[in-house]
Amino acid sequence: MRSSMKHALTTATAAALALALAACGGGSGGGKSDDGPKVDPAAVQGALDKPATITFWSWVPNIEKTVALFEKKYPNINVEVVNVGQSKDQYTKLTTAMKAGNGAPDVAQIEYFALPQFALTKSLVNLADYGVGSLKDKFAASAWSQVNVAGGIYGVPQDTGPMAMFYRKDILDKLGAAAPKTWEEFAALAKKVHEADPSSYVTYVDPGDPGTATSFMWDFGGKPFKVEGTTDVTVNLKDDAGAKAYADTMGPLIKDKLIDVTGSWNDEWWKSMAAGKYPIWITGAWAPAVLEKNIPQSKGQWSVAPMPGGASAENGGSSVAVTTQAKNKEASVAFAQWLNSDPEAVKSLNSEVGLFPATKVLLDDPGFRSAEVPFFPGSKPNEVFADMSKAVRPDWQYLPFQVYANSVFKDTVGQSLQGGGDLGQGLAAWQERIKTYGKEQGFTIK
Amino acid sequence: MSAETTEAQPSAAPVPGPRKRPVRPLSRKPRRRRGKSTALTVAMGLMLAYALVPLVWLTISATKSNQTLFDSPGLWFGDGFHLFENIHDVFTYDDGIYLRWFGNTLLYSVVGAGGAAMIATMGGYALAKYDFVGRKFLFALVLGAISIPATALAVPTYLLFSEMGIVNTPWAVLLPTLASPFGLYLMQVYAKDAVPDAMLEAARIDGAGELRIFFTISLRLLAPGFVTVLLFTLVATWNNYFLPLIVLNDPDLFPLTVGLHQWNSMAQGGSGAGAIPILPLVLTGSLLAIVPLVVAFLFLQRFWESGLSAGGVKQ
Amino acid sequence: MRRSAVRRNLTAHAFFLPFLAVFAIGVVAPLVYAVNLSLYQERMIGGTSFVGLDNYAKALEDTLFHVGLGRVALFFAIQVPLMLGLALLAALVIDSGRLRAPGVFRIGIFVPYAVPGVVAALMWGYIYGDRFGLAGEVEDLFGVDLPDFLASGWMLASIGNIVTWSYVGYNMLIFYAALRAIPDELYEAAEMDGAGSIRKAWSIKLPALRPALLLATIFSVIGTFQLFNEPSVLQALAPAVITTNYTPNMYAFSLAFEGRQFNYSAAIAVMLGLVTVVVAYVVQLVTARRERML
Repeated sequence: MRSSMKHALTTATAAALALALAACGGGSGGGKSDDGPKVDPAAVQGALDKPATITFWSWVPNIEKTVALFEKKYPNINVEVVNVGQSKDQYTKLTTAMKAGNGAPDVAQIEYFALPQFALTKSLVNLADYGVGSLKDKFAASAWSQVNVAGGIYGVPQDTGPMAMFYRKDILDKLGAAAPKTWEEFAALAKKVHEADPSSYVTYVDPGDPGTATSFMWDFGGKPFKVEGTTDVTVNLKDDAGAKAYADTMGPLIKDKLIDVTGSWNDEWWKSMAAGKYPIWITGAWAPAVLEKNIPQSKGQWSVAPMPGGASAENGGSSVAVTTQAKNKEASVAFAQWLNSDPEAVKSLNSEVGLFPATKVLLDDPGFRSAEVPFFPGSKPNEVFADMSKAVRPDWQYLPFQVYANSVFKDTVGQSLQGGGDLGQGLAAWQERIKTYGKEQGFTIK
Repeated sequence: MSAETTEAQPSAAPVPGPRKRPVRPLSRKPRRRRGKSTALTVAMGLMLAYALVPLVWLTISATKSNQTLFDSPGLWFGDGFHLFENIHDVFTYDDGIYLRWFGNTLLYSVVGAGGAAMIATMGGYALAKYDFVGRKFLFALVLGAISIPATALAVPTYLLFSEMGIVNTPWAVLLPTLASPFGLYLMQVYAKDAVPDAMLEAARIDGAGELRIFFTISLRLLAPGFVTVLLFTLVATWNNYFLPLIVLNDPDLFPLTVGLHQWNSMAQGGSGAGAIPILPLVLTGSLLAIVPLVVAFLFLQRFWESGLSAGGVKQ
Repeated sequence: MRRSAVRRNLTAHAFFLPFLAVFAIGVVAPLVYAVNLSLYQERMIGGTSFVGLDNYAKALEDTLFHVGLGRVALFFAIQVPLMLGLALLAALVIDSGRLRAPGVFRIGIFVPYAVPGVVAALMWGYIYGDRFGLAGEVEDLFGVDLPDFLASGWMLASIGNIVTWSYVGYNMLIFYAALRAIPDELYEAAEMDGAGSIRKAWSIKLPALRPALLLATIFSVIGTFQLFNEPSVLQALAPAVITTNYTPNMYAFSLAFEGRQFNYSAAIAVMLGLVTVVVAYVVQLVTARRERML
């Protein structure tokens, strides 16, 4: 009971804090002195010595291997890893459990885009209260800024997905082409690829994939969503520079049928990927493990290059958060912390689970950078990824209801992608749906 | 009470089926001796092919490895025969979770469908054979409920059950499946004719109690109707997807449908890092999930066919 | 005599009680709860407030809801008559006794009913693939150009095909059972009157089939208006075709779980239930002017 009293107090102070921060226009990162822990860090660490059971929702295959290391080190703690479904499915369950007031896990994997929504609905514990703020310097800036919501820290970064360009070297070689360094070169290559083989396209867009679309806007320097405090939201998909650049770069290529429009991650798509139908795949740095597992026959055909234009953005990646329903918050926080920052753990996450790291421990490690990856013989892909991680543009923000916004992407932008590429129209429709929803939910929308 | 039923001899051996029209078992030889038509047989053969080709495809696909699935024709075998390997993988993947799902489905179906059929039989019998207070109103209420989309009630069901504290327990799946308004309707129609009023009266005069009459006489007469309802609730629970998807969190409690769909979304990515090549498991697992139901239908064919003809379609 | 009547009344209630109990928990309570939910509005900022019938007023003007409703109505108007017609034809043919090995047809066509809807949709999804699926192979093999079954123009038909495949055998059996229930004496009498097979079909078989037809149609109404599994499985293959409001039930699901609009979602669910009841009632009026279910 004592700890729940304490928690009530800490959330009250945290709320006051958030208001104070909002008042002085607190941006990402939060204040320094105010971020101090409300719970003694020693108590957090000490919780690992007492017997406890932690339920951890995650859909990452093989994460049990890293968790086993934790249980070996802290034999008093029993962690139950439960896979309740992939991303969207898990959020559905988490949302209902929160609504019902019981049934949520202690610890949950949550992607960065969904974090603000769960933080604002008071589903997650502010980890700053438990001293997690001191971990800041261990993580890549792009990862750390994404777990900062309304002046609090609501997750420990687990993996990131700095965007890079994967390309089929064998196919480009045959065309006498090199990996494009700019978006102009990319457009020229698109023509070349399709002319050489009308059934092939330089790449594809998925009309049901909002994550990649927003990552492109981010990569092009956009900030279409801005959140100030907890209630003021600006949505600017129509005039935002990044959103425009995205529409102007991809739109014409889709219109000229030089980029294919297709659903992804399904059987058909894997077959296309294996057949070399799309020689370029622009996506997050987590892709190698996925390629290797699903189309091992293409080993040695892929290479990795920096993004056209040189800048990058995050695509995917998740954090590990502690829910407000957690029974033993201290132990849960300590687990989330260890899992994602202990050197032994992050090595395991990378090599055994196949996640691309969020910590500088690995990103700056010369051994990691120069490591040979068997799927890409004779090249050093981690070097490219680590550089791309540094090239991620700062200050991107997601909406406090991004899960909803993403769900209606296919109704709006998806329609214009499918219908021939008038992206301006689709983005305007998306903005409309987002604004209407935001207003209904009581936000001040600009 | 109709004139026909009173004609029945109380002492006569019980005759199953409606009194008005003795029903021939469906599988008996067709009644008219007309010439067989090859043209008609061929035309119906097309329809049979339509029904079976997808299942043939599924069966053939279950013999392929992940690799061969991607590069061999759908309706013919690829390199190597991986069926047994796939079955082995299905049963051992993730510490044999498939077997758990199978067991769960069995539990939900047997308890859920069996319970629903029993409850509907008793209820339908009461409606048909007793004139009790509120009978008409209750029957109308139940009939109205048949039209309510069950899936549309899923969210309130979840919230309600979570207040009752039974979310993420087998009860959350079992309780709603125990109520089968259609089963009740079918049994009411069936019981009206299958259990002659005169027989009940005779038993009462002999001094038998109502419960004894039900369990020793009526239930036997109601058997075909019971089996019919059982099979339809069995299919409904075996196929149940939406409700367990929502009320269960723990994969250890999933039925096959939800588990297979989870495997499918794992196989098809959904989110990048999660994509793992278990498509053969999805296909083989699906095939294995269908087999028990088909077998059940084949074995119980005699019962449900007579139940159907007598109960569900009575005029 | 009076005492025994009272006791019998009690026994009847006892027999009916288990059903009433599960019915109350499984159907009535969630329904009442849904109606109650639908009268409130919960916002991320500002909490919960009582809004009366506002959610219903909103649903009446919500084009997203109407579009979904229109789509399932269209589906109902086309798929259901096709499926029932096919089932009826098959039942008549099997009943005619002119087939070789009729048992094989009866069971074979019925088998898809045992395939869970989710599995059926997964399976057909693979088959529809025009690049590497079975459809694509047919194109390659015969050099024909099949339409893209997963494109927006074809999607509803493709879903209709899955539903038809799953339920045609089930309906066929219901009709067949009704035909088998016709007593031989009726045919004999008709034959003595010199009636031909068309005449017999019209004046004996059709009236006998009417209750079965009604039952099958009512079930199709319910099934159609709550369409969910098939489109939501196909969504992974054609995300931009199957939108969040593709069917009213999907819309209710998306509102609740993706948009956290539990209250509005409950209102949509209740409205959908009402529409279903009304359509089912109208169908009953039209199909069975003289006969009634009760």
